[in-house]
Formats: sequence, structure tokens, C-alpha cells
Amino acid sequence: MTDNPNDKPSTKRPWVFIQGQQAFQFDAQQHDSLLEAMEAHKVPVHFECRSGYCGACRTTTLDGDVNYQHQPIAFIRKGEILPCCCQPTTDITLVQD
Amino acid sequence: MKYTTFSREQNDALKEPMFFGNPVNVSRYDQQKYPIFEQLIEKQLSFFWRPEEVDVSKDRIDYQSLPAHEQHIFISNLKYQTLLDSIQGRSPNVALLPLVSIPELETWIETWAFSETIHSRSYTHIIRNIVKDPSEIFDDIVLNEEILKRAEDISGYYDELIDATRQYQEFGEGEHTLPSGETITVSLRALKRKLYMCVMSVNVLEAIRFYVSFACSFAFAERELMEGNAKIIRLIARDEALHLTSTQHMINIMASGEDDPEMAEIAIECHQDAIEVFRFAAEQEKAWASYLFKDGSMIGLNEAILSQYVEYITNVRMQAIGLPKIFETSENPIPWINTWLASDSVQVAPQEVEVSSYLVGQIDNSVDVDDLSDFSL
Ligand code: FES
Ligand SMILES: [Fe+2]
Ligand SMILES: [Fe+2]
Repeated sequence: MTDNPNDKPSTKRPWVFIQGQQAFQFDAQQHDSLLEAMEAHKVPVHFECRSGYCGACRTTTLDGDVNYQHQPIAFIRKGEILPCCCQPTTDITLVQD
Repeated sequence: MKYTTFSREQNDALKEPMFFGNPVNVSRYDQQKYPIFEQLIEKQLSFFWRPEEVDVSKDRIDYQSLPAHEQHIFISNLKYQTLLDSIQGRSPNVALLPLVSIPELETWIETWAFSETIHSRSYTHIIRNIVKDPSEIFDDIVLNEEILKRAEDISGYYDELIDATRQYQEFGEGEHTLPSGETITVSLRALKRKLYMCVMSVNVLEAIRFYVSFACSFAFAERELMEGNAKIIRLIARDEALHLTSTQHMINIMASGEDDPEMAEIAIECHQDAIEVFRFAAEQEKAWASYLFKDGSMIGLNEAILSQYVEYITNVRMQAIGLPKIFETSENPIPWINTWLASDSVQVAPQEVEVSSYLVGQIDNSVDVDDLSDFSL
């Protein structure tokens, strides 16, 4: 995939890697959140509130960036994301424990 | 250090630590040291609901048709939740407010505790509807051995903190001989330790203990039973998710030491104790599951499944605050519970829920099955 910085986010489909394996491409046209895309691709992920305030979906990332539509309230550390309320903006690598 | 309701100290609240600085003077929210508490207040206010908005009248008919062992499960959970929210409705205020030093955290604690009083009021709403004499249920809470065991462990951390705060305010640091002849040592560090462990135990209470009851309530509702209750529990669960998030933030800020370096040392010292608080609560909740199901399981839920859920949720909550998980379980044995915990499916606007007594607060005691025949829930 070519990374053209002029690409609009809606046309860009970042790759999601899980444990080093290329898993799927995130398509913002199809999924509102990374969590929805993970579910659609049968990637196991915890969730409760699906709205950024409980922290159950907290996932560690090795690299990559995400964008939150609303600033989430749940507590996360550096390098952790809340898939229920974010969309990847670059290729991203997730670690599962 | 004496507490005052309006400190004259011309301090900069942005430079105060969360706890053990100057008492808060001006309640101002235009600036925050920790904006997260302001966001929690906003969110909690936006979650506001009233028990009377939820129609629970059909639950009475459901309840009467439940076999005795399922009535036991339902009522025991209500008793336990009543106990937990009785504690939570007052204790954050009594124990934490005298120690707080920043306005946004002070107001968050008040907002948090207030929402717990709504939970307590909702139990009265539920109980009034299903039994003739609510006293039968309420009176047993202070008699029931299984509930009392838990009450002691939960209120213990609060009570110790409250007592240690009182001694610190009364005598200050150092060794003191009481009129009784007893010698006590008061130290700020020991008090901070009590605060840290208290917040830890509150996190366990809200992030684990409640979920056993939640699971049972939703298991009934999965069978289309006690659905009014489940609607209320869903609103309670939504609030509790905010509360557990708030204590996770507090624990994290304390452990980071960014605001009080001594707190970071205490967090390291208390690492093993914190793990044990989680382990002990998980074991206690598994024992509770065994008490609930002593006369028989319910469809979709039994002691083994509920215990596995306790282990699963304990792991999730421990990892959230940087503690290692202590159970092998990594799978949620009751994934359907998440549908009930997801907020996009929570309906709160009064016009969207089935409302019988919205803002009226009256319970119609004469409803029977026929009255409900053209009701669909
Ligand atoms: S599911 Fe609650 S924060 Fe993501
Ligand atoms: Fe509560
Ligand atoms: Fe709570």
C-alpha cells in the first residue's frame, strides 16, 4: 500500500497487524470504529460500554496512530488504545495478551 | 492539619496534589489540574436517570412465577447491591472529601456519591413492587451472615481511613498517649497508605463485586424475566463503569507520583497488598455465587460459569491498573452480558422507555396479568 500523505482519511485503508501478522485493512466506509472492524474480522477483543468510558477494550499497540472522534474518558497508558471509539489513521500493530 | 470548609490560604489549586494538600476553597471549574475529573462529572450528569422512569410493574408477576431457588437468587442479589450502594452513597464523601485538595476531584466525588444514592433509591423502587413488606428484605441485610462477611471487608478500608484521618486531624503526626493510656503513632505516610488501599478496595468493589449481581439480573432478562429490573441494572452498570474508571485514574495518578512522589513509593510498597485485595474479593464473590446457587442454578448461569466470569473480570480489572492477572481464564464465559453493558443499547430518554409512573412516583398496586395483556416489552 502506498502512503500518500495527501490521501484523504476516508480513502485510505490502513493495515491492521495483530501479533506481527497482517490481519485486515480498516475501511472507515464500512466500520465506525476499530472494534467493529475487529469483530467483523473475527479478531477476539473485549468490550463493555463501546463508548470509551469503561476501558474494557483497552489494547496495546506496538506502532501506528489512531484518531478518537470524542476524547475517551477511560484510563489508558501510553501505547494503549481504546478500539471501541477510535479509527486507525496509519498502519497499526496490535498486541494481544 | 485541621480541615476547614473554606481555607483562607491564597493557594494555586493547579499546584495542589489530589489529596493531602490545602483543603479546597473556591469551587471553580474554569481550570483544572486534572481535566479527567471534570469530564467524569459532565458524563455522570449526562447519565442522570430516575428509578421511577422505569416501569417495573410486570416484574411482580414474573417474580411470583419464579421457582423458590430463583427468587432466592434474585432477592439475595438485591440485598447485596443494597448493601454496596448504601456504603457507596456515603463513604466517598465521608472518607475522601476531608482529604481532597482540588475542586474538580472534590466535585467528582460528590457527583459520584450522589449517583450511588440514585442506585439505592432504585432498589426501593424494585423491592416495593415485588413484595408486600419491603422490611422483610431490608431488615435481613444487617442479619444475613453471607452479606455481613462482605460488608466488613468493604467498609473496613473506609472506616480505617476515616479513623486515621480523625487521629491525624486531632493530634497531628507523632506519638500520642490517649486518655485511655493507649499509645498511638500518627504518620502522614501511614495515612496515605490507608488512602491508597481504600481507593484500591473501592475499585475492586465497583469493578468486580457488582458484576456478579449484574450477571444474574441480565440472565433473568435474557429469558424475558424481570426486565424492569434489568433496565434499572443496566443504568446502574453504566454509572458503575464511570466510577471504576475514576478510581483507575486516581490509582494511576497516585502510582505515577507526578502529584505526590511519596504516593508512588506507597504504590510500590502496596503492590502485593493490592493483588491480595483483588484475589480476596474474587474468592469472596465466588463464595457468593455458591451461596446464590445453593438450592439450584438458573438457566444459562450456574456456580461454575459465574465463578469463571469473576476470574475473567478480575483479570481484566487488574491489568487495567497495571497489576498482573492472577487467573488462567482469559475468555468471558458469558459474552452475552456485554450486550447489556454496551451503552449504545441503553435507552434512557423517558420517551423511549416504557413509562408507567414517570415523574409521578406512584406505584399502582392493583396491576395484574390481564392489565398487562396488551403490553409488549
Ligand atoms: S468498550 Fe468501554 S472503553 Fe471501549
Ligand atoms: Fe452504585
Ligand atoms: Fe459506584
